[in-house]
Amino acid sequence: MTNPIIENIRHSLGRTAQSPLSLRPAIYEPRLPESIDAEIERFLSEVKKLSGVSQKLSSPEIDSALKTLITDQNIRKATVWETPHLRQLGIAEILNSLGVELVSPNANKHEMALCDLGITEADYLVPETGTLVLRSSAEKPRAVSLLPRVHLAIVRPEMLRGDMHQVFAEAKDSNYLVFITGPSRTADIELTVTLGVHGPKNLYVWMLR
Amino acid sequence: MSETPTYIGFEEYSEHVPPCIPLAVQQATSRFVGGRAARVAELPQWEQLRQIGSDIRQHTIENMDVYLTCLEEKVEGAGGHVHWAETAEDARRIVLQIAQENNVKNVVKSKSMATEEIELNHALEAAGIEALETDLGEYINQLAGTGPSHIIVPAVHLKKEEIAALFSEKLDIHAPTDPIELARIAREVLREKFLNAGMGISGGNFLIAETGTLVMVTNEGNGRMCTTMPDLHVALVGIDKVIPDWESLTVFLKLLARSATGQKLSTYTQFITGPRRAEGEFGPKEFHLVLLDNGRSKILKDPIGRDVLKCIRCGACANVCPVYKNVGGFAYGSFISGPIGAILTPQMLGTQAARELPYASTLCGACADVCPVKIPIPTILRHLRRRVAEGDAFALPTISTPIRVTAMLTSLALAQNWMYRLGARLLPIINPFFRKNNWLSGMPYPLNRWTKVRPLPSFTAKFRRWWNVRSAKETESTR
Repeated sequence: MTNPIIENIRHSLGRTAQSPLSLRPAIYEPRLPESIDAEIERFLSEVKKLSGVSQKLSSPEIDSALKTLITDQNIRKATVWETPHLRQLGIAEILNSLGVELVSPNANKHEMALCDLGITEADYLVPETGTLVLRSSAEKPRAVSLLPRVHLAIVRPEMLRGDMHQVFAEAKDSNYLVFITGPSRTADIELTVTLGVHGPKNLYVWMLR
Repeated sequence: MSETPTYIGFEEYSEHVPPCIPLAVQQATSRFVGGRAARVAELPQWEQLRQIGSDIRQHTIENMDVYLTCLEEKVEGAGGHVHWAETAEDARRIVLQIAQENNVKNVVKSKSMATEEIELNHALEAAGIEALETDLGEYINQLAGTGPSHIIVPAVHLKKEEIAALFSEKLDIHAPTDPIELARIAREVLREKFLNAGMGISGGNFLIAETGTLVMVTNEGNGRMCTTMPDLHVALVGIDKVIPDWESLTVFLKLLARSATGQKLSTYTQFITGPRRAEGEFGPKEFHLVLLDNGRSKILKDPIGRDVLKCIRCGACANVCPVYKNVGGFAYGSFISGPIGAILTPQMLGTQAARELPYASTLCGACADVCPVKIPIPTILRHLRRRVAEGDAFALPTISTPIRVTAMLTSLALAQNWMYRLGARLLPIINPFFRKNNWLSGMPYPLNRWTKVRPLPSFTAKFRRWWNVRSAKETESTR
């Protein structure tokens, strides 16, 4: 079946169905990573510039850090990605012991919307922009980083990539990817910057060392 | 196009712009211009990036049939549905049909120029389907019943007091005049709508042919809501948004937010390839991509004008435009305003309906200097002025040989300092032959082409002397 739009395009360009694809212009060299410590510092400082809260943590410190977060943000309900790493850190158990009610990340959207806190990992990190890159699957539902008013991402140095080129090279086969660069924001009313208009108002990033 | 386009009276519209609009627009544009400048200064390879961005867009336009064919195949391979809409009417019919087949009553929309272009909301509402804008600025405009005054901050012309009054009236609440509180109210109202909508409609910033991926860039998160909460996602995207591959995308993502808002990246960038694959991951069960032509394939025919399709919709050209800053977005009478609107609208609606727009510019060239994909906007404006005057002919007009030779010699002489000086000294020699008072008239062919319309001032060769004296005085006074 011929497609009239494609036909019109070919007619306008003077091409036919047999016309070859010309060579795509070359792009530039991607940014190369510096030392791992420099990359971590750069990533965390970019997150801070975006009004996110970022810090380095060791695994034993998670307990007290979560306790502080839950008090500061008055968290009652939370939902957590069910990934091996977050399970290994015992996030769900710690939340339970702090009296936080857990909602399954696969629960229906109305229930998920009642959560105050969503905890995820990230699949990749882009230091230049302070960006978290999240894939999507049944263990890593999209709504966890979207519906709750607070989003916490627990990340590790091995997720850092030099530039988004490398992220794309590794992840372009995913059916869904999201780049998260700071908390949800708008300046639509009198150019006043307001955080948390539809997505999370607070973004926490903890780098585990 | 099937509909007769409405005449766009830029001059008349701009006379009726209330003074609050340019004031608010200038606050926004100066913020964005400053932000952009800061981001550009950080990136030493900025000019190189612009050049590559421009080259890739040019390449994509020249091979658009190949990339669109590949895109269709990949989207369908990923389980999505592709629809082709030749006209605005086709697009409205397609979207409406998808909604009706799925028995949709409520639609949530994220900001999309393509849906504005086809005036989708009216069509949905006429069919009894609620279509709600969810970008905060667009939501405010929808409540107020007005259009966007700026591409990035569409409700910038409204004061917080006006918005509070609007919320109080339309939502039947008591809304305070604090922007943060107003945003919170919108969040609560719209949250309910997101969770209960049957369909999400979005636009798209890019379409990656390599994998059939829709790329959406937003800041508020409403774009994510619209494509994650409802079971049905319909993306309406112009065919010009296609790009070859993910590697090319890195260039455009680096250019887009820096040029638009002065951010390095917008908050949320989504990459959507077909519908969800697992029940628990959220995201739509069904994904539809409506590819909109609406005159674009015809624009490709004009080798000068078609560069307008390189546009990535950052709005940087409007932010620096002295005309836009004084009239705001409404005066352009179309879904897209500013210099880019002045070169796109006449090509879409025809140079008769939009004949005033190519003249809505001082040709100062500031737009071309900031355009991240180097669209030669002033060149296209001049080209369109000729199309307006000559009845839409794409071909370059033929110029008689004497005129062409004169123009060539003139440009040669003006480009060489010594020739210019010599010419300036010699030209006064001809004064006595044609002089009437201080004017020259009745010159021989081919110069009579000029002098029979208006006389030339006589040659005096005084400028350089005047300039030297003036510079000396200035140096004196600043000492």
